[in-house]
Amino acid sequence: MKVELFKDFTIADYHKWLREEKISLPELIEAFLERIKSIDPDLHAFLEINQQAALTEADILVKGDSFDKELAPLWGIPIAIKDNICVQGLPTTCGSRILRNYRSPYNATVIERLKEAGAIIIGKTNMDEFAMGSSTENSAFGPTRNPFDLERVAGGSSGGSAASVAALEVPISLGSDTGGSIRQPASFCGVVGLRPTYGRVSRYGLVSFASSLDQIGPIARSVDDCTRVFEIISGKDEQDSTCAPYPPFSRNDIPTEEEIRKLKIGLPREYFSGEVEKGVLELIEQSIDLLRKNNLETIEVRLPHTDYALEAYYIVSPCEASSNLARYDGVLYGFREKEGEDLESMYLSSRTRGFGEEVKRRIILGTYCLSSGYYDEYYLKGMKVRTLVRHDFEQVFEECDLLLTPVSPCLPFNLGEKTKDFYQMYLTDIFTIPSAMAGLPALSMNCGYCDHLPVGLQIIGPPFREELILGLAGFLEKRLSLTPPFPNFHQ
Amino acid sequence: MERKVSLAEIKTIAKLSKLSFSEQELANFSEDVNSVISHFEKLNRLDLQGVSPTSHISWGQPPLNPDEAVVWENRDWVLEQAPEVCGRLIVVPKIVEK
Amino acid sequence: MDNYYVTIGLEVHCQLLTTTKMFCRCKTDYFGKAPNTLVCPVCLGLPGSLPVLNEQALRLAILTAQALNCRILPRVVFHRKNYFYPDLPKGYQISQYDLPIGVEGKIEFDFKGNREAVRIKRVHAEEDAGKLVHEGLNLPFGCSGVDFNRCGIPLVEIVTEPDLHSPEEARECLVMLRNVVRYIGVSDGNMEEGSLRCDANVSVSPSPEKMGTKVEVKNMNSFRSVFRALRYEVDRQVELLEKGESLYQETRHWDEARGITLSARGKEEAEDYRYFPDPDLLPITLEDSFLKEIKAAISELPLTRKERLMIEHELPENEANILVQDKTLADFFEEALKEFNQPRLLCNWMLTEVLKNLNEAGIDITESKVSPQQLAELLRMIDKGEISGTIAKGVLEEMFTTGLDAREIVSKKGISLISNEKELEKVVLEVVEKNPQSVADYLSGKEKALHFLIGQVMKETKGQANPEIVKDILLKKLASEE
Repeated sequence: MKVELFKDFTIADYHKWLREEKISLPELIEAFLERIKSIDPDLHAFLEINQQAALTEADILVKGDSFDKELAPLWGIPIAIKDNICVQGLPTTCGSRILRNYRSPYNATVIERLKEAGAIIIGKTNMDEFAMGSSTENSAFGPTRNPFDLERVAGGSSGGSAASVAALEVPISLGSDTGGSIRQPASFCGVVGLRPTYGRVSRYGLVSFASSLDQIGPIARSVDDCTRVFEIISGKDEQDSTCAPYPPFSRNDIPTEEEIRKLKIGLPREYFSGEVEKGVLELIEQSIDLLRKNNLETIEVRLPHTDYALEAYYIVSPCEASSNLARYDGVLYGFREKEGEDLESMYLSSRTRGFGEEVKRRIILGTYCLSSGYYDEYYLKGMKVRTLVRHDFEQVFEECDLLLTPVSPCLPFNLGEKTKDFYQMYLTDIFTIPSAMAGLPALSMNCGYCDHLPVGLQIIGPPFREELILGLAGFLEKRLSLTPPFPNFHQ
Repeated sequence: MERKVSLAEIKTIAKLSKLSFSEQELANFSEDVNSVISHFEKLNRLDLQGVSPTSHISWGQPPLNPDEAVVWENRDWVLEQAPEVCGRLIVVPKIVEK
Repeated sequence: MDNYYVTIGLEVHCQLLTTTKMFCRCKTDYFGKAPNTLVCPVCLGLPGSLPVLNEQALRLAILTAQALNCRILPRVVFHRKNYFYPDLPKGYQISQYDLPIGVEGKIEFDFKGNREAVRIKRVHAEEDAGKLVHEGLNLPFGCSGVDFNRCGIPLVEIVTEPDLHSPEEARECLVMLRNVVRYIGVSDGNMEEGSLRCDANVSVSPSPEKMGTKVEVKNMNSFRSVFRALRYEVDRQVELLEKGESLYQETRHWDEARGITLSARGKEEAEDYRYFPDPDLLPITLEDSFLKEIKAAISELPLTRKERLMIEHELPENEANILVQDKTLADFFEEALKEFNQPRLLCNWMLTEVLKNLNEAGIDITESKVSPQQLAELLRMIDKGEISGTIAKGVLEEMFTTGLDAREIVSKKGISLISNEKELEKVVLEVVEKNPQSVADYLSGKEKALHFLIGQVMKETKGQANPEIVKDILLKKLASEE
């Protein structure tokens, strides 16, 4: 195995080597598979490794002339897919017992697009059950560990996707973000994660948690890699009604450094409160200073309804989830438990044994908030607060171009630390939920290390302005030029 | 205003959700739901009069399907992994009502 | 009975005539197909699949609401109706709730000589569920089977206000609703095949001011059973009230075989469907131009057509009514009329001979081998005296089985009218000799006797005589007898 493969290389590097024939594609894929095999037992980022098919795919790519290496933007690049995104023939368990044996008979739109771009699906990654959680501890198949400290969580719900990229098991991955499920694990694992504008990437084939909030997005080690994946997966889709009639993202739209220096960066006061751990706040402020030194203007702004977004989110998302998860009833697919003879007992035992505790808690909560007599009190109210949260952002983007905030108020916490008090777990998403409620694009990137643990900063932009976000992220990445501390794990 | 969700209500909700719980679990879930709901009280501080609800994030007219048939070739995969089939039918415990 | 006020409202579901399902591209022609063949990830509710609305389903739902004079709401919003049932693979049905396609409409029909107008409360669109199979096909004991072929077929639900006051009137209203959806081509409205389904709310009350207890009646599978079930239910309720007993708000199922309604017990509490806007389907804003374009497709509706047929062609109301009941029958009539402009005669032939032949073959007029042009030709031949009416009936029968032209059949069989006067004179002479009484009657001024004599000649010639010529010869002959 060529150890030098596993440093912070990018898609561009791998493509260069492949073109110069320093390594063959099967060798490259084999090397990644080897790496997964050697470290994943400790990390548990993967639920399924697509070994045989990945190698076959590599052979086809090499032999076939259907692909032009120069044209196919992700030619031969291995990618890990969160286990709530459907890949034909592979399991799609959503980290749940209820779908343990389910294999999707079709591809998600993003998978079709990745394949067309020449990417190789190398496996499915671990996640909180049905994406409900912030630590990947809610997976029915055991938690994913943080590559920087195996006693700590990788974040969640896309913990497997973030950890696999951070641990160099794979260069890029896809995650999904409902209230922060891409950005928080990206922050905890020191990688780049983008939640696109709601409707910019097709949700067809993404197993729904809360349909009006779910978005698929890329996770990568560099802003450039993140950009390359986003370019492939974005764009309208006739199979998703909620997908926007908007052209795909293009890297050509990314502003020049000169243009970036003219951006006005808003710092929402509500995101810099005492709730944020000191170490996190310090690193964020260093990045802000760096921007100022580069002549970017920063202004303090207000998002007055930030404080209410979390509650509204925990009304709206369980309501949608309670309905979205009704299809797991043991009738047509997935787990069926036949305890009694009758239909009712089949429903009850299949669902009760198929779902984990957090999922059941949210189903109960959502069913309650939609039930007769409580709709106006909770669901309707949640949707109205959502409107206020949206308006906050609309107003703020009249004053500034982008917002810069922490991703999470805390550093990666210890396994088991927050599982006792689920509301404490909910609170870890306070900075990622408001923009999700407003449907806005937001990115999480590493901005330094505190006690050898990565800290992420968040850039939030107006709808469909991912090019500004990615532009600023690239600008910062270049100037921060961080070298990740090398935990034992990496050697 | 403090709203307490009663055990009986949680039972009804569990039934609607097709979930079954032991008495202990019921008590726990009831406590959990009450604790979350108590946080929702905060929203009552806001004046929501005249605020329109956001049920969807929409950026334009959604696509519509043309009325032209497309056959899905993998339909038998579904039958192959269904929990119980008889011929091409999905089998479920007998439905008495209806 | 007469002391009670009956109130009935209808809830009618029609399958829309689209090629594909409401939210996916699977075909809708499920009748007779092997189970679970017309399915895809969307209509099976597989994890990750998403619905996309079929434009044609939207158009047909709007058209239905327009034809029923509804106010069309400016935004189309779909809600989820949440409940568990094995024929519902997502655990919810995509339907509409507080924002249906159309509201505040009305439907008019003629009943007992009056023009009735029943208000339409709402018209909304929703998806159909799958089908449960309870027996046969080697199903294991104690099990049911599920077939999802029907799942996701678009439906419109039409809900009337409780403006109907008798089972007869309810039936007439339902017939008109069926005719309207057929006229505008949104549904084939076939109750027996389930493409039109009807539930009803029935209540009786001793006073017109106060509504009685509402009982919902379901599972009526034909127009006849709707009528019978409502009749039964009204009688049942009156009987209970007469005995001083009280009624419960409940759902009852019609048992066709036993001719009774049965309480659908087993639901202690009312279902809580937890309706909320489907987050997978964005609301659609309806442009005026789009609505106008759809409305332009509304053809003449049955009631207007009936009036036109009565005025333009002087058809009696009854006949006109029968013709317009079936759009295709009325279309056939008007098509044939273009080539044979004697509406009364054509109408008589349509409603007697044509319908008789169709009934015998068990087909409807769209499947008929006889075209409107062919029928017109046959009638023209009668009119010109080339064949008699009696012969024509036989010819028509043969046209229905062979699809051949009347003229072809007539020449093949050597049937043609005997117009040869010499030949006919012989027969006339015989008839006159055999019927001296009739001749005497005629001569004493009884006109009717002439018809009898003509009839006798026709009989002798097996209907092949030209009745006009027979009449001429007879008159000449009788004049000479005087």
